Amino acid sequence: MRPLDWIVLVTALVSIVLYGLYRGRGSNTVDRYLLAGKSMPWYAMGLSIMATQASAVTFISTTGQSYVDGMRFVQAYFGLPLAMIVICSTVVPLFHKARVYTAYEYLERRFDSKTRTLASVIFLCQRGISAGLTLYAPAIVLSVILGWPERTTTILMGTLVITYTVLGGIKAVTWSDVQQMGIIFLGLVVSLITVIVLMPASVSFGDAVFLAGKAGRLNAVTTHFDWNDRFNIWSGLIGSTFLFLSYFGCDQSQVQRYLTGRSIAQSRLGLLFNAVAKIPMQFFILFIGAMVFVFYLFVQPPVLFQRAELSRIERVGAFQPVAEQYSRAFEDRRQAALALVEAHHARDSAAEERRIAEYRAAQKEIDGARTQAVKLVESTGGEKGFSDTNYIFLSFVTRHLPAGVVGLIIAVIFAAAMSASSGEINSLATVTVVDLYRRYVRRAASDHHYLAASRWATLFWGVYAVTFAGWGKRLGSLIVAVNVVGSLFYGSLLGCFVLALGFKRVGGTATFIGMLAGEVAIFSAFLFTGMSYLWYNVIGCSVVVATALAITYLAPGATATTPGMRQPV
Amino acid sequence: MPDLRDMPDEPPPFLGTWRHIYIGVLLYLCVIIAGAYLFTREFE
Repeated sequence: MRPLDWIVLVTALVSIVLYGLYRGRGSNTVDRYLLAGKSMPWYAMGLSIMATQASAVTFISTTGQSYVDGMRFVQAYFGLPLAMIVICSTVVPLFHKARVYTAYEYLERRFDSKTRTLASVIFLCQRGISAGLTLYAPAIVLSVILGWPERTTTILMGTLVITYTVLGGIKAVTWSDVQQMGIIFLGLVVSLITVIVLMPASVSFGDAVFLAGKAGRLNAVTTHFDWNDRFNIWSGLIGSTFLFLSYFGCDQSQVQRYLTGRSIAQSRLGLLFNAVAKIPMQFFILFIGAMVFVFYLFVQPPVLFQRAELSRIERVGAFQPVAEQYSRAFEDRRQAALALVEAHHARDSAAEERRIAEYRAAQKEIDGARTQAVKLVESTGGEKGFSDTNYIFLSFVTRHLPAGVVGLIIAVIFAAAMSASSGEINSLATVTVVDLYRRYVRRAASDHHYLAASRWATLFWGVYAVTFAGWGKRLGSLIVAVNVVGSLFYGSLLGCFVLALGFKRVGGTATFIGMLAGEVAIFSAFLFTGMSYLWYNVIGCSVVVATALAITYLAPGATATTPGMRQPV
Repeated sequence: MPDLRDMPDEPPPFLGTWRHIYIGVLLYLCVIIAGAYLFTREFE
């Protein structure tokens, strides 16, 4: 980090916090603190939804995902527009009409208190874990750049986020998200331009795209079907539709965003804006990762992208032959890539085939050397299942980008993490206060009391997220980890809302049992099969609906809802 | 349970009805997937 980077970083962070606090002033009632007094325009909601969903993980991990696995991760977003249409035409008007603070509040009106409570607890478990992951991502940044321990940086970030969220409420969070997205878009464009400019003079943009394609990094659509393959068009269209239905229909961190809309139409427009903009944005980020891969065809990357672990194993005697194999293989790959470009220019198909074979052989050697290095990490006291996917883009940024741009990219990552984390903590606090505290502890206190309770709940969940953040480093790619954690719980929540909206005869007890059965099915799939996480939502939702319907129609007397349990809040 | 059919619906600011908006989003998705598929075929 050079002085100019520090100036850009500190200026960006200070301006974001101050702007958020400025826009969040006047949040002095529960309605204003939790729902911004239902005053938000569609573009603020749309950008806030994107910012909450994106966070720092998007920038850090998605580029790394593309580097190691190509662009096929974009397929995981193909279901988003489908899900948005369903959400806009069903739950958006329903929640607005019901005038609820949380999605789960509605479940008590439709079913009973235990169904509402179970849904609330499932959300708190799932989103609490994700909040930890969201805080962990920027901790990686500082650990790579400054060599600070991740724990220290997690606590530092958590303290900033907690302060900001407690003071500002959702209005501050939403408006700061708008500012974040502007900075994120700027950072994305600057990143792509910079990586292309840094390519060798003999490699044009067209050549870079050609090489990325031949290296298997532009595989945006894969049409084969495999239950165990995480990303293909089928899991993307079917599985991710269920994931996004769950996320936007049942996850309070998103529901609360569109509940702040000043009308049903504004909320719908905000969600549809997200549906239209999200896939191109993910495509763009993945494309940057593919270009970083091509850049490293010509500039030797480190054997491992995590500097601390690399420094440690460099002192081990067994590392030297690994490093030599890696350097030889890199040079072979570089020569093969240059020769491949020449063959492409000459339109010599036979030569292209030969160069591709040479390239693949060299790539195999490189992969082998990296595998050996990972084994060294694990065998010398390092973490089991070590993965440096999350460090690839950061390593590129800090080693190769010019002064000022590094500060901008890091500011983007920090700012996105802060806004996403604050949104999550805000929604966790809302569910805690509205669905649990106000429902079971203090049912008729003053608005001032619930406002104070909301601030205390925000503080609690902030501390919880900081505590849980260290778990993130055990989960490999963070972007995948966030979605896997969500998918362990979303299917049951979605099944519950499907029953609420589509099956009038199903009661609370049948739904409650169905949700428990759904969780058993999802965790069984997670623990005992290698199935892609995108299918967990389909399985969970289906089991919940099937179980509840079976109970309703086979044993109707056993599941009658107890009179008096359907009390509105 | 509220009946969705009874809810008053505000028209969108363009394309007349929400149904038209949704159809537009679906068409957009088809174009995106087709474009991504052709992109993959072109460069793989």
